Amino acid sequence: MITAEQKPIKEIRETIAPYRKILVLGCGSCVAECAAGGEKETAMLASALRMAARMNKEDVLIEDKTIDRQCVRDFIVQLEGVIEAYDAVLSLGCGAGVQAVAEIFSDTTIIPALNTEFLGQTKDQGLWTENCVGCGDCMLYYFGGVCPLARCSKQLMNGPCGGSREGRCEVDPEIPCAWQLIIDRLGRIGGLERLGKVYPAKDWSKKQGRGPRKIVREDQQR
Amino acid sequence: MKDESRLKQLLDGGHFAVTAECGPPKGADPGAVLRKAGLLKEKVDAVNVTDNQTAIVRMSSIAACTVLLSAGLEPVLQMVVRDRNRIALQSDVLGASALGIRNILCLSGDHQSFGNQPSALGVFDLDSMQFIEAVRGMRDAGTIMGGEQLTSAPAVFIGAAANPFADPLEFRVVRLAKKISAGAEFIQTQCIYNMERFKKWISLAEDRGLLEKAYILGGVTPLKSAGMAKYMKNKVAGMDIPDDVIKRMDAVPKERQRQEGIGICVETILALKEIKGVKGIHIMAIEWEDAVGEIVERAGLLPRPKVD
Amino acid sequence: MSLDWVPVVAVFYCKNVPGGGEEERHAIEKRYKGSARLYPIPCSGRLDAIHLLKALEEFADGAYVVTCPHGSCRYFEGNSWAAKRLETVRRLIESIGLEGARVGMVAESSEEPIDLSILTGEFINSISKIGPSPVLKS
Repeated sequence: MITAEQKPIKEIRETIAPYRKILVLGCGSCVAECAAGGEKETAMLASALRMAARMNKEDVLIEDKTIDRQCVRDFIVQLEGVIEAYDAVLSLGCGAGVQAVAEIFSDTTIIPALNTEFLGQTKDQGLWTENCVGCGDCMLYYFGGVCPLARCSKQLMNGPCGGSREGRCEVDPEIPCAWQLIIDRLGRIGGLERLGKVYPAKDWSKKQGRGPRKIVREDQQR
Repeated sequence: MKDESRLKQLLDGGHFAVTAECGPPKGADPGAVLRKAGLLKEKVDAVNVTDNQTAIVRMSSIAACTVLLSAGLEPVLQMVVRDRNRIALQSDVLGASALGIRNILCLSGDHQSFGNQPSALGVFDLDSMQFIEAVRGMRDAGTIMGGEQLTSAPAVFIGAAANPFADPLEFRVVRLAKKISAGAEFIQTQCIYNMERFKKWISLAEDRGLLEKAYILGGVTPLKSAGMAKYMKNKVAGMDIPDDVIKRMDAVPKERQRQEGIGICVETILALKEIKGVKGIHIMAIEWEDAVGEIVERAGLLPRPKVD
Repeated sequence: MSLDWVPVVAVFYCKNVPGGGEEERHAIEKRYKGSARLYPIPCSGRLDAIHLLKALEEFADGAYVVTCPHGSCRYFEGNSWAAKRLETVRRLIESIGLEGARVGMVAESSEEPIDLSILTGEFINSISKIGPSPVLKS
């Protein structure tokens, strides 16, 4: 899923300052899973912003609503007839959600309330970790299910670098060395010979070679 | 302009090679490079020029190499993959060769978070292994990555780094083998203080028949003080300084610690000379280039051999 | 501070704390007149941050939570969750410039439990010292 964190209130207050009627819009998908922009967080942020406005004697209307997915057209169109009453939308969607809403409501100001972080997993309650860069050419088989592009600080495809000590990354001992994980896992599943060869340079054209990517599936289209 | 690396000729000729390191200045003055060149001239066979080491912005490595060449020294151009993509890297290899730089050491580079530009984008388009392979392709096949032909190939002796002290030990040698199979002809190691671990690494390399396939130059760094030893042990990534080395530095008064550091360094070199498969040393006297002459002399490595 | 100001506290409490019964609730609200609004919850772990925020936004000068003693929550860890949510709310209100002391939590002691009525009085006292909420002033 896509992970995100809420922006500081100060920054949010600055960006919404020019507007009088604001819809705080949550998203019930990834950002709800990572407790950044789901229904609860949206209600909390709206409440805090209303209190802040009242403390500063600002005459504003701040209301909140959460839709299931801000990045899917079929869900966004549920806002028709709702969004028009507001001067601006403060979106707690990820970057994709903010842009999708802005694309459909092209005359409405959409302001991001989150910083979108990475493609990752919920490793534990309250812990999310990055593990995919969306390279367009998955190599996880070769690396035992641990992606060196996402999880090695230097994106080494032929690691580990000289800074790996006791399974920790030189950049921060909090970070497990991805290459230690790769070697350990391939050792356990009997795949160490996969590391014997030099992996050729990554073909980044699959990620950014033709600018922004799209997927077209005619069998899925109307 | 000579087409062949002097360092390569010496190693091919069976000489025990000596290289040192020169960090370019945090400024544009070529005089700073020339001063270091003066300290190293005729004391060593070649001088590594670091490439924005520890991710701190300094004079470009290629430029500083050119300054060394003008002073009659042989440079080893260090190139890291942190700051340049494959287009820039390959272009700089051609440029370096055109300027008469005959040795390139291909490195990953210290992560940008360690330096004075922590907001920089880390490029890491290639890793050091893939970069070695690319340089070999340029030189031997006369092609760039993807196979396109060059009008003329660069003439460079290709080096790589190895850290015998990082984990996991067994895989360290696998990685060395990969670097050599990618095209590394000489290897400069991380600073050696833990001789036991180094010997173990060498014997694992020997088991794989690697000692005949590349020249291994053992890295040494004279310790300036007990404080520096502790700092390196605790703070510098990939460094292995055993407690007895630290104790030894601690045991002498502060004003004599530099001499003790040089003494340890000389002893290390003498021990390295005895190890089969070690074909030279690489002295990294960090901002202490004037110590190199004394170290080399006390280790009985002067005068340096000549090549025609 | 305006002379006619009457402090209002919202008290969210676990029904299992001493004095946490339904009859007691009426008695406490009566005793402190309009100054105390009590909200029983089956377990403090059920408390959501939004409950505290809504109270502060709509009527309360302070919002407090009373939980079972640490380690004796009937639902295992309800009270530690409540503590974390309270911290979230504290950080959030501080980020908009509201005093963090307007929210608080008391975990009952198993040795010397304090009656909810007394605790409520203490909450009203603390809020009286802090003064009226700038959120509700206007």
